[in-house]
Amino acid sequence: MIATEERLFGREDEMLSAVDSVPEIQMQQFLIFESDGLLYGADVEYVVEIITTHSVTHLPMVPDYVRGIINLRGQVIPIIDFRLRLGRPYREDACIIVLDVNGMQLGILVDDVAQMVAVPKTSLLPAHDHSAQKLISGMCSLADGSTMLLLDCVLLVES
Amino acid sequence: MDSILEMYLYETNTLLEQLDSIALAAEQAGFFSQNDVDEIFRIMHTIKGSSAMMEFGTLMTVAHRIEDTFFLIREHSMDAVSESNKAELFDLMFQAIDFFRSEVAKLESDTPLSTDIDTFLLNINSLIAKITGDLNGTSGSAAPLVQDGSTGLTTDIPLSSSDEFPYALLVHFDEGSGMENLRAYMLVNSIGDFCVDSDFIYTPSELEGDSSAAEVIIEQGFLVQFRNAADRAAAIHAVTATGSVRTYEIADTALTTLPTSTYTARQEETDSYEETPATISENSGSAAPIAPASSGHTSGKESLISVSLGKLDQLMAVVGEIVITESMVTASPDLAGLKLDNFTKSARQLRKLTDELQDVSMSLRMVPLSGTFQKMNRIVRDMGKKLGKRVNLKLVGEDTEVDKTIVDAISDPIMHIVRNSMDHGIEVQEADRIAAGKNPVGEITLTARHTGSEVIIEVHDDGKGVDYDSVLNKAYRQGLASHDVEYSHKEILNFLLMPGFSTNNEVTEFSGRGVGMDVVKQNVDAVGGSISITSELGQGMTTALKIPLTMAIMDGMEVSVGDSIFTIPINNIRQSFKVAAGDIIYDPNRDEMIKCMDHFYPIIRLKNFYRLENGYDEINDGILIWVEDDEISYCLFVDELIGEHQIVVKPLPPYVNTFSIKNYGITGCTILGDGSISIILDVANLYSSV
Repeated sequence: MIATEERLFGREDEMLSAVDSVPEIQMQQFLIFESDGLLYGADVEYVVEIITTHSVTHLPMVPDYVRGIINLRGQVIPIIDFRLRLGRPYREDACIIVLDVNGMQLGILVDDVAQMVAVPKTSLLPAHDHSAQKLISGMCSLADGSTMLLLDCVLLVES
Repeated sequence: MDSILEMYLYETNTLLEQLDSIALAAEQAGFFSQNDVDEIFRIMHTIKGSSAMMEFGTLMTVAHRIEDTFFLIREHSMDAVSESNKAELFDLMFQAIDFFRSEVAKLESDTPLSTDIDTFLLNINSLIAKITGDLNGTSGSAAPLVQDGSTGLTTDIPLSSSDEFPYALLVHFDEGSGMENLRAYMLVNSIGDFCVDSDFIYTPSELEGDSSAAEVIIEQGFLVQFRNAADRAAAIHAVTATGSVRTYEIADTALTTLPTSTYTARQEETDSYEETPATISENSGSAAPIAPASSGHTSGKESLISVSLGKLDQLMAVVGEIVITESMVTASPDLAGLKLDNFTKSARQLRKLTDELQDVSMSLRMVPLSGTFQKMNRIVRDMGKKLGKRVNLKLVGEDTEVDKTIVDAISDPIMHIVRNSMDHGIEVQEADRIAAGKNPVGEITLTARHTGSEVIIEVHDDGKGVDYDSVLNKAYRQGLASHDVEYSHKEILNFLLMPGFSTNNEVTEFSGRGVGMDVVKQNVDAVGGSISITSELGQGMTTALKIPLTMAIMDGMEVSVGDSIFTIPINNIRQSFKVAAGDIIYDPNRDEMIKCMDHFYPIIRLKNFYRLENGYDEINDGILIWVEDDEISYCLFVDELIGEHQIVVKPLPPYVNTFSIKNYGITGCTILGDGSISIILDVANLYSSV
């Protein structure tokens, strides 16, 4: 009961001091990455690792955002280009975030990986319904004032 | 599950499988040979011991009683058992195997063991009593038999040898090395140097001037027996230091009289019991002879260990990483322009070794289908007995290797299909078979073979085939078929695979519950395979499972198109050749064709088909590969042939499969030696999607 009240009243504060977590508040960790000038957050629960420079084998007959497959220690993992997936223009040089969503592994090519943040669950706001980006499940303001778009990893893998 | 229990289950399962095959073979032959009896005795003894250790009382008791039974038989030879009791003995063996199997299955699933074994024990006891009765009745006739055996050659080995010299070593020389007796003699001399009290015996003992000893050594190996283990250990050094030694194995107590018996046995092969002097029969169990086959068997089994699949996956992953790292090191840009002779040499050696390492680790997961196939023997036997049908099982291609996970997934389906064939396929009345001009004994054939991208497993029976009308009527009754629709034979056969369909009106013990075939379909679907049934009235039916070779190893030809690398299964390739632009023939659609061996074949340019950016356009720059799969035959145009490799087929990630690229002839991929990925083409699918 007390915890609920604290959450009710403390919301503004928490958003600013999100990183030094208050124990009573349920935090969620995100890996923030950059793609085409925007910041996205992927739930850390799904992130396996971050790799750079991996030679991608091109696959024919797939949409252009599927860049191909890579061999990650004997595992064959599909790679999608996050920019192209969201309909943004293509750019060279990027790093790959490997996600594992319910056993399905997928690498996403992003411009840059920024940092890890922990934000209280309560600070996550729903995305606009009419948002063009269906893969975005929510938004969240970060301590430095920037805005993080929450990536719906499950949808990304299943679509 | 703790590791001791796991060990116990593995060991017991292995032993039971062995037991099963012995019992089946013995039943066919009509009696248990001395080797069989000894082997069963040994297996039961092991099961008894390990069950006692695990405190599985019921298992121990049953094993103990069966051991007793075979002890009796071992003492008095199988000939002493009357025909009716023999049949009972075989049935008892199978009951026992089933009992152990079901108990082991209970242990595996963590359910309590059955405690009611009294009736079973009663059966065993009554059989023991009967056999004892037989023995007393026939002892008069059995004794001369043993006497006959004793007239063979005698050897110099004291009868008590196995007691005084319990530590034995069986040495085999290289095949065709010649003068085996002299080699053995030299070996004896050098062992004499090594051993402390140089007190040992060897068989055959006449080494010099006896050329027949050479033959014996070639056939049976050369047996050396020692008083203590230390001497034997020392002798192993001597053996390994001697040239031309192919193998040596430690052959203790139970095996010690092996060459003794077989040496003398050559003249008395038909007499199954003691060939050595009759007095040996007083010498109780430990002196029983065992044929070379079983000694080979023992040593073969000891060289196997069980490894969890998880560990193998881990190994594969690490090996994969080593391979990549190796190429990263050797192709490092830091080395560019440097002349490093020694480095290059070592790097080449390293490459060779890592290649080997990769090959070995990839082959670890592959197991032959023979284990699964062998189990069907038992099913055919049991059902044949119950249903009163005489059926032979023929196995073809049982050494086809597939990934362990696939073997596990398809063993149930195969069992169901074999059961169906036994139950519904083979005619009930042999008269019907004779009237149809067929062998009265039915035949079920299990075939396994690799094609380019699949393993095909076929179960064929030469029974009556599928009765289309009765299947269709049944389908009407089950509401699966509609009266308004005309069904082709093929469609009618497909009803068999639908859930809840069963053609047999009565539910039998084996099949007819209507769960069989649709479960088969589910299991096969689960590993990405397909199932098809063909049938010819009066000639039998064939059920074919096509399982994709995920993780299977096959030979592939790597070809390049631009910077992409594709692998074409070697089995699909007929020929590859260069052509000049003038050889190309066009049809009205401007599709290209080529004439080879008096036939015209269409040309598919891989570059255009897959809309690749790079690659040759001029037909005389690249190369044509003539491929075929079943009925389909055409030519692929690629840039270059890179080479032939053994590859491990990996499935494409499920995410990629959602784009249904399978329909465009891409079945899987493989990881090449340098860590890069090559895409495996399915020749048939590629053609049909053009």
